[in-house]
Amino acid sequence: MRSKGVSYSKYGYIFCLPFILAFLVFSLYPTVYTAAIGFTDMKGVIPKSIHILDNPFQNFKDLIFDNPSFKTSLSNTFLLWIWNFIPQIVLALLLTAWFTNRRLKIRGQGAFKILLYMPNIITASSIAVLFSSLFAYPMGPINSLFEMMGWQPFDFLQDKTTTRGIVAFIQFWMWYGNTMIVLIAGVMGISPDLFESAQIDGANGTQTFFRITLPNLRTIMLFTLITSMIGGLQMFDIPQLITRNGGGPDNATLTTSVFIYQQAFRGSYMYNRAAAASMIMFVIAAVLSAIVFYLMRDRYAAKLKKQEKKIKKAARAAARGA
Amino acid sequence: MKRTFAGISAVLMMSSVLAACGSGKSDNASSSGDAGASSSPAASSSASTSSGGNSGAKVTINLWSFTDEIPNMTVKYKETHPDANVEFKTTIIPTTDGAYQPALDQALAGGGKDAPDIYAAEAAFVLKYSQGDASDYAANYADLGLTDQMVQDAGIAQYSVDIGSKEGSLKALGYQATGGAFIYRRSIAKDVFGTDDPATIKNEVGPGWDKFFEAAAKLKAKGYGIVSGDGDIWHPIENSSDKGWIVDGKLHIDPKREQFLDLSKKLKDNGFHNDTQDWTEAWYADMSGTGKQPIFGFFGPAWLINYVMNGQVKDTNGDWAVTEPPTGFFWGGTWLLANKNVEKDDAKKQAVADFIKWVTLDTSDTGLQYFWANGTMKAGEPGTKDSVASSVVMQKSNGEVPLLGGQNMFDVFVPANANATGKNLTQYDETINQIWRAQVREYTAGNKSRDQAIADFKSQVKDQLGIDSE
Amino acid sequence: MANIKTSSNVSRGFNKTVIYVVCIVLALLSIMPFLIMFVNATRSTPEIQSGLSLIPSVHLSTNWDVLVGKTFSPFKGLLNSFIVSAGATLCAIYFSSLTAYGLMAYNWKMRQPFFTFIMCVMMIPAQASSIGFYQFMYKLHWTNSFLPLILPAIAAPAVVFFMRQYLLATLSMEIVEAARIDGSGEYATFNRIILPMMMPALATQAIFIFVSTWNNLFLPLILLTDKSKYTLPIMVSLLRGDAYRTEFGSIYLGLSLTVLPLFVIYFLLSRYIIAGVALGGVKE
Repeated sequence: MRSKGVSYSKYGYIFCLPFILAFLVFSLYPTVYTAAIGFTDMKGVIPKSIHILDNPFQNFKDLIFDNPSFKTSLSNTFLLWIWNFIPQIVLALLLTAWFTNRRLKIRGQGAFKILLYMPNIITASSIAVLFSSLFAYPMGPINSLFEMMGWQPFDFLQDKTTTRGIVAFIQFWMWYGNTMIVLIAGVMGISPDLFESAQIDGANGTQTFFRITLPNLRTIMLFTLITSMIGGLQMFDIPQLITRNGGGPDNATLTTSVFIYQQAFRGSYMYNRAAAASMIMFVIAAVLSAIVFYLMRDRYAAKLKKQEKKIKKAARAAARGA
Repeated sequence: MKRTFAGISAVLMMSSVLAACGSGKSDNASSSGDAGASSSPAASSSASTSSGGNSGAKVTINLWSFTDEIPNMTVKYKETHPDANVEFKTTIIPTTDGAYQPALDQALAGGGKDAPDIYAAEAAFVLKYSQGDASDYAANYADLGLTDQMVQDAGIAQYSVDIGSKEGSLKALGYQATGGAFIYRRSIAKDVFGTDDPATIKNEVGPGWDKFFEAAAKLKAKGYGIVSGDGDIWHPIENSSDKGWIVDGKLHIDPKREQFLDLSKKLKDNGFHNDTQDWTEAWYADMSGTGKQPIFGFFGPAWLINYVMNGQVKDTNGDWAVTEPPTGFFWGGTWLLANKNVEKDDAKKQAVADFIKWVTLDTSDTGLQYFWANGTMKAGEPGTKDSVASSVVMQKSNGEVPLLGGQNMFDVFVPANANATGKNLTQYDETINQIWRAQVREYTAGNKSRDQAIADFKSQVKDQLGIDSE
Repeated sequence: MANIKTSSNVSRGFNKTVIYVVCIVLALLSIMPFLIMFVNATRSTPEIQSGLSLIPSVHLSTNWDVLVGKTFSPFKGLLNSFIVSAGATLCAIYFSSLTAYGLMAYNWKMRQPFFTFIMCVMMIPAQASSIGFYQFMYKLHWTNSFLPLILPAIAAPAVVFFMRQYLLATLSMEIVEAARIDGSGEYATFNRIILPMMMPALATQAIFIFVSTWNNLFLPLILLTDKSKYTLPIMVSLLRGDAYRTEFGSIYLGLSLTVLPLFVIYFLLSRYIIAGVALGGVKE
């Protein structure tokens, strides 16, 4: 019996093998390659031999101490992510609560779920073009509205705050449906028995949501938070395309990804600096994720332990059964 | 995964140029279909001797471009040269997504039989290929048998030659000429200046910016704006400066370009324009006179008239005229380059030279530029007329267009092309111009002081391009 | 008692009205861009440049002529896009579920380190590996092939993470045990019992992956230079080749064509998200 128990664990390795192979070939090798570039003098369009810099950390040093735009890009990225994530998660949770509340019985929720996800289907570049013509100055749909109200036309995309607001709004609007679907899928994974017993105990919708749904959504929420954070760090299309300059006005929407793109493609082709900036981004993402994991660790670890116990119990049961 | 994927896309472009480095592998890059060129297979198979006198196997020319403009020319070329023993394999990669240059760089570096033999470059980045980092790949026109004498005889605009030359050797030429003119509304001219005669208007709006602003004040008094936005005066200002953005490897702000700050501010503070940005709805609206206040004119080359304003002028069609601008300039254009490696194969060299000559230097009635200037690329179908590189061709062509009320635009564009200068450009212009114009808008919008705008400009150039200011 | 009940009914009615209003407003906001896109597909370039409108124009056939007048075929592009997207989606969801199940169901020594490792992989910004990826593909001579666009999807750490989080909440080992007792092999158990159980998660992720692969432009643009291999987004981007003379009408028509298959896929898969799958039956 024991030997059988051991033999199961080999499936763990087997099932994970395709992932590992694909990862090594398509992800790890290219990443290490990129990381290496960060320590070299590789720039310019024409191939020439590449050398490790005299001070291998020169590119990193330049970025951190001698490049105000890079610092601006880090704070912009953080700001834009906060501005879009908080409303996004709040609205997604609210909609999830409504759509999964059995007593409310929202009619046409199937159609709503489909419709609310739709902004995610169009390419970001189309959305960016659409919004920049919506907010066009001095003539455009929004400014025509302003004129009808008797106000002066306003150059939204020349103002730092409004441009950031527009970028954050687009991100929010493109992704809340996506987050909602993830959360709904999570709620569907919760055992219906739990909801039934809550109903029998006389809990109302709000109570059920906070006592049953939310705690059980914790792992999925962790997923949403982490992926959104990483996605936020990589925010590129909208800030790049909404203003003509990419990251404008006056670097107000310059995110780290736009910054990296500009290092690599705007005339000077500084791949080494772009690679170094990518690595700094990686470190930031890793540290932030570690913090999130640490904060959400308690229940998560408990859950894992419970799962392990279950497996052991099942193994014992199997042993007994045989 | 979600946002991760979204982010992946654009930045992957960064990889493209890199691939050029070290990997000598690009054979696949140019293997793209030849559907575009082979659309007239009959023509290509009919001949057995090439114009170069070589007989035997057909020569295949790899042509790289960012629009279908030049590939379409190959069709016309084969029509007019039925005995040319040549076949074109075209690769079109758009510039809009930033993929053209990386792919081209890689293909040039890779070499081999699929490397581009002829490639096109746009004004925004031609310097890189004619004078800058990638100029070593380009063949000298002289080595292809296209001599300076031919260039002189064709009356090619000097600015176009300057841009295409590295240390005196010509490497690139265009078929279009993009010297700029001032395009104005006849009805407004009559109302304010009493006449719509181009010769009079020329002296009302120029020469020099002082006269231009005098005219702006006169127009304003009658409720007109002189231009649509600050972008309209940028091209003439940029191009009339004495030095480019980079001098001895350092960022240099030419006094004439610095003046753009003050001129823009003046336009905005006095309401001389509608405060639009080029290529936006409001800018197009000013072409049909439906903006906030009617706008007197635009600065631009012939393509602006025929490809952009053409669809926008609506009721004001025919109410326009062109005259020489307060200061000479050019805007845009496409240049043709040949790969140095074509010199190794005589038959190919001859075929490449023949085609480039037909496009850029042939002044006859069957040369490309004659068709291009007269809008006769497609037989029996009136096409778009455009100003061309050769002044000889323009002088014998008919440049009358209905949008200009029947005025022959070539009368203005021949001198306009001659007045433009190509000596103050650098390969970083596209990026630096964007940063500069953004800072000028910050200043004119009242968001920051003049000094702050200049300081921020310098710092952003340094951050983005690694170029220190002097 | 009765009073309380009525008041709660009234407030629920009020709440429901608020909910419907919010949902309808959000739905309208979602439909707008599509409407504008479809309308623009019928307008000429100068019309589009003079601003937004919701009134269709009459240039649909002109735009269509421009679109098919180029040297490529939109139908071929549709097929290519479908091969790439479907391939990547299947790879990603199947192998990610397999990996997630391997992580959850078996107690192997390297399990926790491996999971931590997957988490780290997820942090790698796309930027970081993209530079090397493209060069590597060129070294392998893997251009003009769909494989480099499909196979990397096998290692999709975020999908593994999602699947694992989902299994964490839903997987019961009893059912696996029951299958073992019935003599089912481990691999068969996964395919026949676990996969169907994960349907809502699979459908959710499938939609996201399909959409993002379908809309992906830059990697295909760089790796596919053969016209017969072009995907739809490449074709649309080719229409924008000339900055000064862009055929906006046909671009919007191309974008509309690009988005239609996504609707179909989404409607097909959304069934699983909306209806859900009766999971309760298999829970303890």
